[in-house]
Amino acid sequence: MSLSRFLIKRSLQGLFVIWGVITVVFGLRFISPGDPANVLLPPDVDPEVRAQVIAELGLNEPLYVQYWDFVSGIPVGDLGLSLVTRTPVASRVVTKLPATLELAIAATIVAVIIAIPLGVVSATRRHQPADYSATVFSLVGISTPNFWLGVMLILVLAVQLNLFPTSQRPIGIDGIVLLLVGGNLSAAFDGFTTWLWHITLPAITLGTYFTALITRLTRSGMLDQLGQTYVRASRAKGLPETLVRYKHALRNTLIPVITVIGLQLGTLIGGAVITEAVFAWPGLGTLIINSINARDWPVLQGSLIVVAVGFVLVNILVDALYAYVNPQVAYD
Amino acid sequence: MTDNDSHVGRRTYLKLAGGAAASAALAGCAGGGGEETEETTTETGGEETEETTTSTPEETSESFDVTITQGQMPSGLDPQDHRETPTDIVVLHAYEGVLTRDAAGAIQQALSTNYERIEGENAVRFDLREGVTFHNGDELTPEDVAYSINRVVDESVGFASPQADQLAGVAGAEVIEGEMAVKVNNTSLNPIVFSEFATYLDVMQQSWVEENDMAFISQNMNGTGPFQLDSYTEDEEVVLTRYDDYWREPAAVGTLTFRAASEASTRVNQLLQGETDVVVNVPPQEVQRVNNSEGARVAAAPSTRIIYNAMRYDLEPFDSVEFRQAMNYAIDLESIVQNVLGGFGAATSQPTLPEFVGHNADLDPYPYDPDQAEQLVEDSGYAGAEIELHTPVGRYLKDLEIAQAVAGYIDELPNVTATVRQRDFGSLVDELLAGSIEARPPWFLIGWGEATFDGGLVMQALLASDGTLTTWQNEEFDALLEQAGTQSGDERDATLQEANALAHEECPWIFLNQQFSVYGVNDAIAWEARSDERIDAYDMSQQ
Repeated sequence: MSLSRFLIKRSLQGLFVIWGVITVVFGLRFISPGDPANVLLPPDVDPEVRAQVIAELGLNEPLYVQYWDFVSGIPVGDLGLSLVTRTPVASRVVTKLPATLELAIAATIVAVIIAIPLGVVSATRRHQPADYSATVFSLVGISTPNFWLGVMLILVLAVQLNLFPTSQRPIGIDGIVLLLVGGNLSAAFDGFTTWLWHITLPAITLGTYFTALITRLTRSGMLDQLGQTYVRASRAKGLPETLVRYKHALRNTLIPVITVIGLQLGTLIGGAVITEAVFAWPGLGTLIINSINARDWPVLQGSLIVVAVGFVLVNILVDALYAYVNPQVAYD
Repeated sequence: MTDNDSHVGRRTYLKLAGGAAASAALAGCAGGGGEETEETTTETGGEETEETTTSTPEETSESFDVTITQGQMPSGLDPQDHRETPTDIVVLHAYEGVLTRDAAGAIQQALSTNYERIEGENAVRFDLREGVTFHNGDELTPEDVAYSINRVVDESVGFASPQADQLAGVAGAEVIEGEMAVKVNNTSLNPIVFSEFATYLDVMQQSWVEENDMAFISQNMNGTGPFQLDSYTEDEEVVLTRYDDYWREPAAVGTLTFRAASEASTRVNQLLQGETDVVVNVPPQEVQRVNNSEGARVAAAPSTRIIYNAMRYDLEPFDSVEFRQAMNYAIDLESIVQNVLGGFGAATSQPTLPEFVGHNADLDPYPYDPDQAEQLVEDSGYAGAEIELHTPVGRYLKDLEIAQAVAGYIDELPNVTATVRQRDFGSLVDELLAGSIEARPPWFLIGWGEATFDGGLVMQALLASDGTLTTWQNEEFDALLEQAGTQSGDERDATLQEANALAHEECPWIFLNQQFSVYGVNDAIAWEARSDERIDAYDMSQQ
């Protein structure tokens, strides 16, 4: 199967997945407790006012009408209006997406920078102190819950040592790009340092589990590769150990690692909810939490659809890349 | 005040990026003068004379900036299209009503200079202040005030405002020909009309509203208040700047920023790091950390919210007065206030809070007397009863812990078994609002806030036979509330006190606590917490 046919096939499958997500998310609204009107309005509101507001929001329409209204707008980017703010959901979600993407990518970069060297060192110095240290780090990293790590980092590095801010995102990459486009280089540089200063703790918090995972994956992959015949042959040919390890063994190890990194990026986009809440990071996660608390279903649905679309796209891309970098894998 | 001078903020960047000139209009401007204006008005129709004082901020040599962090951002900026306190706190810096309240809850003049009942009619009159301007420079007119009232109470004027019932009994408003005054028509006597206008109704400019669509009005502000909108980033930040042409002295605060952090610990950390100046809802376990810090303190005030346990009168064992009284004797309320709420609460003895009209000062909270409780349970004939307390989690200050303490005390009685059932707030409210008492849980914890400071409204909604959330039916009590509806002033107050005494005796509730609003405040700012949960930056000064 050619690459283009593969992409078309996976895209069609992805469309079905997204449609399924849309339908499930829409259905969840009706089996979840809590009428949105009862959350929007206080208990003491006059029943007549309640009925008027419900009618204005379209919550009294039959189920199939609400479903059709919702689904028919999605292809043209119309995700409806927020029940709380009455503003378009699509623009709210799109506005929040850069903050979450920044955080997910920063967490991934932190993970890759730390995990791959650590995994390699761990594998090449097997059963030595460096290996034990890396293994302990991985175990701690995998076992530490996000919310606890975030709070501890704030208390120690921000409140006690005053090295980082506790929370907020005063500027994003989009703002820095605007400054660059406007030719204001010094402000852009200041903006970048401010951004870096604010994103460090959330990125570490979100990336710790990921770092631990990639470390373990790299270690086991390297150990596997170093035991292969081609490695023994390379050494027998007299290739320097550095070349054997980094040009041959590590390259082959990275193939499954890249796949996992790609898939985890999708998970990070959806999984930044807790980290964003702890650091008051104004991204998709915060929007999801706020919309759940407010029973703002259109916003919740819109956010989940964007996460699902992102996940599907990353999956397709990773599958395509995987087959591309490893010709032994066929497009089927 | 916020310690972020060394870091360039979002607004600065956007301004730089857009090439816009930096606005330094307010930096270094003189603060308010220290004069106080005193005005007096008289209500006709036998009502008491009220003296009102309009305070101004303390004199300061230069302006300062303040950041306030709430639990959530405003849902929009249309002052008449929401029902949430966080939104109110923001929009009330830009919009004002004809009346307002001081920090203790007393009615004050705002855009009106006089208010009175019109003899022989179910109507009231507001004389309006001259020389007040909206932030766009246009002068306030009586047409604007009448339109604003009608926009809330009359759906045909604009939209179905979720605030319509906050002006209950108000039929509409009209301009009094040739005068700077409006007449507000009521459907009946409406004894609480001035109380309603002191709490609700923000005045908007008619032409501005009519020229713009709902989406624009929800993202922009044009009021007469001491602060005007500088920028609004939905879900992230609202920045207001001082309005120098304000009809009182301009505020001492130059730039006022609102942000949100849903996590209480995040808000407290921001305060301790100097990233913000005022944070809301400091949980009791964080109070010591704030008070022990250098540069921040805790400020608290009794709020208008009462927390209580309702017991359905139509179900066993709660149909027995003795059993309901026993539940009140069984709990050590003082201990709950001190140990669960860290002292940030007050024990209640009746449905009406001390600051409210109709409060009966002769009633004390039920004492902790487990022996008496055990005996009353025996007398009720329900010894061996097993009861379950439904409670929301995280909706009110320490709600679950309060519920667990209450159930724990009752469970200690040898003849009653009590447990707690945690409920999702949405589903619990669905049951409470189902329209019939049968749909409501037999025993539940809930809170009720009444910003009008009127005990009659609380009792009508929660305890009258036809109340929105009632769990009780008592003919004598209904008759007292009906009687209060036809009275005003001291006469009405006395009737409401009688109703409170009856509720105290009959115990339709386990009377719990008055919730306190607890804030963390930067020590550099002089500001006192208010009973109505508003954070008024106009009253802030440097210290």
